[in-house]
Amino acid sequence: MRLRRTGRVPSDARVRHYDELDERTQAVVPELADRPRTALESADLEDGDVVKFTDCSLIRTR
Amino acid sequence: MSDSYVIVGDGIAGASAAETLREEAPDAEITVITEEGESLYNRILIKEFAKGKLPEAPISIHDESWYDDHDVDLRLNTLVVDVDVENDAIRTHEGETIEYDSLLLAIGGTPQQLPVGNADAEGIHHFWTFQDARKIKESVEDADRGVIVGAGLLGIDFAAICGAQDVEAKYLMRGDSWWRYALSNEGAEIMHEAMRERGVEPVFDSGVDHFEVDDDGHVVAAVDPNGERYECDFAGVAIGLDFNTEILEDTPIETDDGVIVDEYMRTNVDNVFAAGDITEFHDTVLGERAQNGAWGSAKEQGTIAAHNMIDHGSEPFKWVSSYSITHFDFPFLSFGHPTLGDDSVEATTDEGEWRRVALKDGRVVGGVLIGDLSPQSAFKQLMREKRDVSGQKELLMEPGFAVDDLAASTEH
Ligand SMILES: Cc1cc2nc3c(=O)[nH]c(=O)nc-3n(C[C@H](O)[C@H](O)[C@H](O)COP(=O)(O)OP(=O)(O)OC[C@H]3O[C@@H](n4cnc5c(N)ncnc54)[C@H](O)[C@@H]3O)c2cc1C
Repeated sequence: MRLRRTGRVPSDARVRHYDELDERTQAVVPELADRPRTALESADLEDGDVVKFTDCSLIRTR
Repeated sequence: MSDSYVIVGDGIAGASAAETLREEAPDAEITVITEEGESLYNRILIKEFAKGKLPEAPISIHDESWYDDHDVDLRLNTLVVDVDVENDAIRTHEGETIEYDSLLLAIGGTPQQLPVGNADAEGIHHFWTFQDARKIKESVEDADRGVIVGAGLLGIDFAAICGAQDVEAKYLMRGDSWWRYALSNEGAEIMHEAMRERGVEPVFDSGVDHFEVDDDGHVVAAVDPNGERYECDFAGVAIGLDFNTEILEDTPIETDDGVIVDEYMRTNVDNVFAAGDITEFHDTVLGERAQNGAWGSAKEQGTIAAHNMIDHGSEPFKWVSSYSITHFDFPFLSFGHPTLGDDSVEATTDEGEWRRVALKDGRVVGGVLIGDLSPQSAFKQLMREKRDVSGQKELLMEPGFAVDDLAASTEH
């Protein structure tokens, strides 16, 4: 999976706060934020989920 | 006959217990009672609503159909006023009696008011529920100047709300820095700078002596103990919680600040359990009694309580809690119990990156990470494994720290 920054949160998106994520996903999110990297799938995040991590939200894409 | 489970509280602890009970006990009767007028929502996202950054819809977690679909009897707007452990029953404010085989108290806390004049004036807000968030949003959108009190994790949410809503605010702190029990001045200064960038000015060695109000009873200023007057049409107060134990006063259920439970979330009464913010639990990681105030911990306690309500002793709570701040352009995470300990080590690891680890008897008990969260898994692992890091604490400050960097002999 990848994460990219998003300014606008789609109204039908599932929004997750960083503190809701499981420990493995919490470790991966900072690695992917601001970097065009991919990581192994996380059962905790689905495509299109928005993660509130810093002042800029991240959206999960493939 | 099937078992009946009654859960008081539909926050994340109560709701995750209901989910687990339904999965594990398909035939059980499950009742969830909440004083609030809405079912489970994401309490840790309501600040984003108040900031104007999120609409209401994504904040809901269980809509009311969830309870029908899972055959859970949901009672909204219902306050439990009494617990009768002799007759295994609770009583509601409307005089209804509901019997249980097993009871879960997931009743959380209520924000404290400042013990000063005019602390309940219009325009002065406390922050716990979605309803609070709606009122805060409305009030802050009309405000020009704000005052914030409470130099901790909830106070900074008010600071971020004022910043996002273009309210010029003064953040009145009693000491010389934000969250001084967990951070040193150096770490706190990163947070102060982030506040200033958003138009929120930290004011140190201050606080509130009293508020001034206009003829309509609306707040117009906060006056600090030094006599300084700060004009405001919005005030946010986050000085701590009172845990909702008053309904247990005449019961044998043991309480202190919160409800005392073992590592299985059971109280001293065999068929009464508690979970979430309300618990003072036996922390198997810390080795002593502790209390957490975080979403992940409350969710896990709800799940663990449910397992043990079905089969006591089946699963202990073993968890390192963490809590992050997501308002700024850098991440912030506190983990474990950063305000405890008899020793600590801290370092600036890069520009804008700072960390502090609290130690007790040579073991990690908690800490704070600013900017770089990469060592979080390693630090949590050290806590769970109760590793003795005496003599090696400086290694924890290395930018790429990994557990393997420690000498192997310290494993317990
Ligand atoms: C504004 C805000 C921001 C936060 N931010 C974060 C964050 O970023 N990260 C994080 O990890 N944590 C955060 N927290 C803390 C986190 O939300 C709590 O730790 C968690 O929600 C506690 O869940 P709980 O189920 O134990 O209690 P609660 O969610 O407080 O639920 C208790 C429920 O019980 C009900 N109740 C109480 N007494 C009775 C009664 N007698 N009868 C009927 N109902 C009753 C209450 O009305 C309430 O609905 C934040 C909290 C707030 C308020």
